[in-house]
Amino acid sequence: MSFQIIINISITFSLYLIVALSFHLVYVTTKFFHIAHASVISFGAYFTYYFAHNCGLLFLAACVFGVTCAIFIGLFCELLIYKALRRNKASALSLLVVSLGINIVLQNTISIFFGDTTLSFETNKAIQIGIKFFNGYVTIIQVSIIIISLILYIGTTFYLNKTLIGKSIRAVGSNSELCNIYGVNSERIIFIVFFIASALGATAGILLAEDTSMTPAFGFNFLLFGVVSMIIGGIGSNLGLIFGALFVAVIQHMAAYCFDTKWMNATAYLLLILFLIWKPFGFSGHRLRKVEI
Amino acid sequence: MEYILHLFIIIAFYTLLSQSLNFFAGFTRLISLAQAGFYGIGAYTTAILSIHYGLPFWINIVIAMLLNGIIALIISLIIMRTIEDYFIICTLGIQVIIFSIVNNWMPLTNGPIGISGIPSLFFRENSFYNKIFFLILASFFVTIVWLMLKKLSNSGFGNILKAIGEDEIYTQSVGKNVYLSKIISFIISAILTAIPGVLYAHYFSYIDPTSFTITESIFILSIVIIGGLGDFTGSFLAAIFVVLFPEVLRVIGMPNNIAANVRQLIYGVILVAIVMTDKKGIKKPSNKVFTRISKIV
Repeated sequence: MSFQIIINISITFSLYLIVALSFHLVYVTTKFFHIAHASVISFGAYFTYYFAHNCGLLFLAACVFGVTCAIFIGLFCELLIYKALRRNKASALSLLVVSLGINIVLQNTISIFFGDTTLSFETNKAIQIGIKFFNGYVTIIQVSIIIISLILYIGTTFYLNKTLIGKSIRAVGSNSELCNIYGVNSERIIFIVFFIASALGATAGILLAEDTSMTPAFGFNFLLFGVVSMIIGGIGSNLGLIFGALFVAVIQHMAAYCFDTKWMNATAYLLLILFLIWKPFGFSGHRLRKVEI
Repeated sequence: MEYILHLFIIIAFYTLLSQSLNFFAGFTRLISLAQAGFYGIGAYTTAILSIHYGLPFWINIVIAMLLNGIIALIISLIIMRTIEDYFIICTLGIQVIIFSIVNNWMPLTNGPIGISGIPSLFFRENSFYNKIFFLILASFFVTIVWLMLKKLSNSGFGNILKAIGEDEIYTQSVGKNVYLSKIISFIISAILTAIPGVLYAHYFSYIDPTSFTITESIFILSIVIIGGLGDFTGSFLAAIFVVLFPEVLRVIGMPNNIAANVRQLIYGVILVAIVMTDKKGIKKPSNKVFTRISKIV
């Protein structure tokens, strides 16, 4: 086994970690699966592509604009749709179905404007071989993926644990009604959560698109691996996400190494299902009930 | 005329698909996104059996139903341990696994190339008569399935399922076997999904994995939600609506390259609009959902 597989695992791991982190942030505060986050991820990459190629901006500037636009998309979902549903005391299930609907709408909007074909940021540059690192190769982009992901992970965890807003976010996740009683505006906190999560998601989207390529549906597949990592890691702790993402990345690359790369998608889900036999409620083991007695 | 027949046949497929999903999801309120996977298993079973072994349609349909039942049993033993959101993610995972197997097991399913030359059921030369007979066959199945589901949903078993949807723990506390009832309804739903799969393969005489993707599952789910959970007539009306609606776009003169996207976009908007306007969300079975959409649209 070459060193290359370790490099590949760490790249996949860092991408999954960021997606799982952003998704987890929304999930712990609002308690529903924000599937439309997939479109936020795709939109981040596509807006960056638009600004870099059609407006001729510098790549970094395009990234900033792309992430900003993606944040607007995320906040748009929250303010226009989820907020109204939460006010009506809608169940997590109907929120999930709504977000599936939003995802269909947004994904097809991308398809209409950019086409269904595969796009890539660098179309005319020659393929980079990368830097030799032990007996594997790694490109500058891949190194930056790992570094940026780790910085974002540590930054977010620090923010959640140390700052006042971060603590409020965790408080709202624990009990939003009690927070309102104590004078923490839970709606405002959820707004901030969507802001941060969309920024993280869009960044992850740009990084993945930069490493490989993008299609309108790539955010959805990518997000689902993040969700699998989150469920395996267990909900409620940021540390669990590291285990989850690492586990999924390792198993996927092992499957690719031992069998074929075409089985990578199926392995992640097989892992999830096998995992649920052993521990139906994830690593953290919190039992979920349909009805509170 | 032939085209109209074709549309009716497609409506029959989607009616079967959405009603069989509705029997499970509509009553127990557990939403499954693996429907297109079972649809695909049905189609591939009949394609492989009729091409490699030359078996007739009636035997294929029984084998496909049995196979779907067995697979559903194995799957449900695992996924019924989870609830709500986790359940959806699990069924989604199963959908992806089934799709991967169909797409990648080259020797059996021919991979992304698909299987062609599946024997047509009636007159191969005359496609008009073929379509008429096919429509009769499909309507026969729709009638049988519809009556059966109606009967089942009004039976004692159907009442247990409705009770599970309302309050799972209460149902368990009055001595009903919630776990077993969920498994049985999931299996019935999967078995019935084999029927449109088999019909699909014989009707188009060509299948490939792209017809059985996660998008298709979400599409079937949106038919069920547009029609109203637990409402079989609603599913039928919604199937008519989603099949005939693109024809309106065609009449308007939408360019072909974006027509498919615009169509899906509109379904997404309808899906969001329905859950948004129904104040209790999709949790509440509503017979008036469809009349409400006709007001929106």
